[in-house]
Amino acid sequence: MIQNLRTEVKKLLKDKKVDIVLGWGKGSLPLSSTPVFIQKEEDADRLIFDETCRNNLTTYLTKDKRKLGKTYDKIGIIVKGCDARSIVLYAVEKQINKENVVIIGVPCNGILEKKKVLQKTENKEILESKIDGKNVHLKGRDFDLTIPLKDVLCDSCLTCRYPDAPVHDIFIGKPRKKVDIKDEFKNVIDFEKKSSQERWEYIKEEYSKCIRCYACRNVCPACYCNECFVDQNDPQWIGKTPEVTDSIIFHLIRNLHVAGRCVDCGACVSACPVDLDLRIMNKKVEKEIKERFDYTAGLDVNEKPAMASYCENEKQDFIMG
Amino acid sequence: MIKIKKSDFSTFITNLQKNYSVFAPVTDGKATAFKKIKSAEDINNKVLNTKRSPKEIFFPQSEVLFQYTEEGIKVPKREEKPFAIWGMRNCDTKSLLLLDKVFGEAHQMPKKDMYKDPYWKEKYDNCLVFNLACNKPLSTCFCNWFDGGPFNNTGSDIFVIENDENYIFEAVSDKGKKFLKEFKTAEQVSDKEIKKIEKLKETAESYLAEKEDISSLFSKTKEIWDETIWDEIAAKCINCGACAFVCPTCHCFDVSDEGKGKKGKRIRLWDSCMFAIFTKEASGHNPRSQSLQRVRQRVMHKYNYFMDNYDEHLCTGCGRCVVVCPVNLDIREVIKKIIRY
Ligand code: SF4
Ligand code: SF4
Ligand code: SF4
Ligand code: SF4
Ligand code: SF4
Repeated sequence: MIQNLRTEVKKLLKDKKVDIVLGWGKGSLPLSSTPVFIQKEEDADRLIFDETCRNNLTTYLTKDKRKLGKTYDKIGIIVKGCDARSIVLYAVEKQINKENVVIIGVPCNGILEKKKVLQKTENKEILESKIDGKNVHLKGRDFDLTIPLKDVLCDSCLTCRYPDAPVHDIFIGKPRKKVDIKDEFKNVIDFEKKSSQERWEYIKEEYSKCIRCYACRNVCPACYCNECFVDQNDPQWIGKTPEVTDSIIFHLIRNLHVAGRCVDCGACVSACPVDLDLRIMNKKVEKEIKERFDYTAGLDVNEKPAMASYCENEKQDFIMG
Repeated sequence: MIKIKKSDFSTFITNLQKNYSVFAPVTDGKATAFKKIKSAEDINNKVLNTKRSPKEIFFPQSEVLFQYTEEGIKVPKREEKPFAIWGMRNCDTKSLLLLDKVFGEAHQMPKKDMYKDPYWKEKYDNCLVFNLACNKPLSTCFCNWFDGGPFNNTGSDIFVIENDENYIFEAVSDKGKKFLKEFKTAEQVSDKEIKKIEKLKETAESYLAEKEDISSLFSKTKEIWDETIWDEIAAKCINCGACAFVCPTCHCFDVSDEGKGKKGKRIRLWDSCMFAIFTKEASGHNPRSQSLQRVRQRVMHKYNYFMDNYDEHLCTGCGRCVVVCPVNLDIREVIKKIIRY
């Protein structure tokens, strides 16, 4: 697979179909990868694709200068299923011209959540690691551990229905169609069963961890505003302290800003340095949108986004009167 | 050198609490951090590098500088007892010295009577710092690049070594000497035990990755400011503040007023040069509008500007930023790239 990917990328660069290819390379830590930007054919050999390829690289596509530095005419990008769906989001929202992006899909078997791995090792440092399809083998200073891969996959991957780029220009291998998932919203349904007091306590507890570093926002493909509301200071919309009263507003507004746009790539969850459960609220909003508007983000370039369209027979029961 | 039995640790902490507000690494479902403890049971002595750095004890993420009303301003009342910090590692104790150059000492700066920050000084000047030796450094530790080490004690008052049964104390500063002198219940450490410490130290040092010679780092950074190397270094950075917020030496802050009607408060908050808004001027112009400029700022501040001002690198090699960076922008690789450029 990886050889085919590298060959394909070399070919694209050689034929000048693209100026740059965004992909993943080996990271400097065990179980990590790092974004690489390939401009020379020979550098394509640095590309990898495996369960460590965590980042959603599409975040580098937006024209905002904070990402990728320069602008390129033609960009190739290697994508998992969720990543491909973010590109659809960009196309729908007119952030990119899809003609200028060559989408290279790779077959995704799920991505590893390092935080879950560290729970298994009881936070002991991992020094060596090997992933072999079904299992992850870990070595630390005083332990040797083999754990089933499925126990340490990202929550997003465990409920992913589109692991292989639903939209792509090139696919390495053969894409699977949609995967059947029965309990996609299980975490939300369980959460909804709790009393409002319990839910509030949980959310409060989680959001009080936040250090306002904005890694979640900055890795997120859906967060591409040139000026985020948290950065505006005239007027200043929200307090900047890490107090839960301030950070909760940041998170709830961000939840709404990504409503119907979040593709559940899980990039925010993995990026958070303090392990906040960012997924529960995003998934809740996704579920609402699915139920009310039968809309799933990032599948169809021609479909009108849920939050940017209106039809008369929409459910209106949330309007109290 | 004197020692206490591990079984007496709890009593030791209780006694310490009589005269000090004691802070130590705490794991409580949130990120491990230095927190004010209630009792010895709160302390996690196993964690090497806390996720959140101890700088927040002296320089909290948000700190009310004063409250204001029509009558005037009021500075919030501070802790009465001085602080004692248990369980800091050398990369952290050293970071306090670096921060003190900015907020406290201000020595070596061109002007002698530079502004000294009362909020920092009031907490830092009387504190007692226990530096716990690292028996098992992590693979991301690179304190040895910056002349620190798992068994170094720069920046601390009392150096503590943990072996199987005991905590061994060694005074580092005058403050530490005074404390240990008054500390009657401790036992002397035997020569045999001292020899064993050498062994622990050797083992710890063998865990560290190979030391990089960074003697050319400062001069190199002087030459590369407008070179293309920054394109390569900065391209993948997404400009979050994760690295700066976990870093024990990053110390940029913002000041924000939160008021309603005729009263309110002025707060000092951590800020980061990685944020786009950091240098945005009132006119709307932003001299560091590009990611590259901001990454360069962080790297240059650490390994050039601070050196220019204070003869030290603003980095202790704690490795926290290496661990948290969501795109694996590894500062060790940045340093190596610069040196070899
Ligand atoms: S909110 Fe999180 S899961 Fe959703 S698109 Fe953004 S990064 Fe991905
Ligand atoms: S990444 Fe985590 S800590 Fe940082 S702003 Fe987001 S939720 Fe808060
Ligand atoms: S960097 Fe050095 S001092 Fe810091 S925790 Fe690691 S070994 Fe200890
Ligand atoms: S720059 Fe990174 S390694 Fe250096 S002190 Fe800060 S967090 Fe530690
Ligand atoms: S270096 Fe990493 S942690 Fe720091 S701002 Fe860039 S992406 Fe965020």
